[in-house]
Amino acid sequence: MDPHLKKVYVPMTETAFYILLCLRRENHGYGILQQTEKMTGGEIRLSPGTLYGSLSKMEKDGLIAFVREEEKRRLYRLTALGEELLALEKKRIARLYRNMQEAN
Amino acid sequence: MKNTKTELRYFTIADWKEEEAYLRRRHQEGWRFERVSLPGIYHFVRCTPEDVVYQLDYNPEGLSDREGYLQLFRDCGWEHLQDLVGYSYFRKPAAAMQGGEEEIFGDDASRREMFRRVLRHRLPPLILLFFVAVLPNFFLFAQEPVIRLLFGLLGVVYLVLFFRFLLCWRRLRGD
Repeated sequence: MDPHLKKVYVPMTETAFYILLCLRRENHGYGILQQTEKMTGGEIRLSPGTLYGSLSKMEKDGLIAFVREEEKRRLYRLTALGEELLALEKKRIARLYRNMQEAN
Repeated sequence: MKNTKTELRYFTIADWKEEEAYLRRRHQEGWRFERVSLPGIYHFVRCTPEDVVYQLDYNPEGLSDREGYLQLFRDCGWEHLQDLVGYSYFRKPAAAMQGGEEEIFGDDASRREMFRRVLRHRLPPLILLFFVAVLPNFFLFAQEPVIRLLFGLLGVVYLVLFFRFLLCWRRLRGD
């Protein structure tokens, strides 16, 4: 993996994390927004500018790939590289959580 | 009583926050933004005063997937108004927002990313213009007082632009 990409995406923003998490199954921008809202009990509502910017950047970096178009909405899916970066980030968050628990 | 009005306002390419605030203020005063044309002529139509949030995105790459780009904003309740020199104009009534406050960018990372897009697209042509057109002409015609004055003015424009970018960058890093 390109070390530069690893530096850019680990740690990643909350937005990036939820995008990758949602794109384990193919989905479009608005679908990601709705799913994230549901997963976080309405606490995180992604904004369209942020979402669109992140999706374009992730597509360019090869973390996600365009699958097809459905009613003007572009559907994306995680690539192998995206999965790899998501796994790294999950590991980091798990460590964070473990250390937080132990500190109590 | 006239139902439309036009205003001349100049915002540099680094002043989109000020431009957004200006359009929101006008709508609160009962003037709905219709369109803007170069070099900064804003057209308004009289309306019931309302708190409507205006937002600008700079995403020329979004134009390659225009329908998908606009659809996402529509899905989120943002009305697309127009595009001008790479900027897209959106608005959404504050009453329709969750918690009365919403922006098209939700975190600083994406706000900085938009700023980077503006810089990447707009700064190189300005710098190129400066070295290819402004500087050589200045040395060629510097002895003419009128030309000197003109170049002085141009210098001020460049300086103002430079400081607006600097201010914008500091604001993005600061908050």
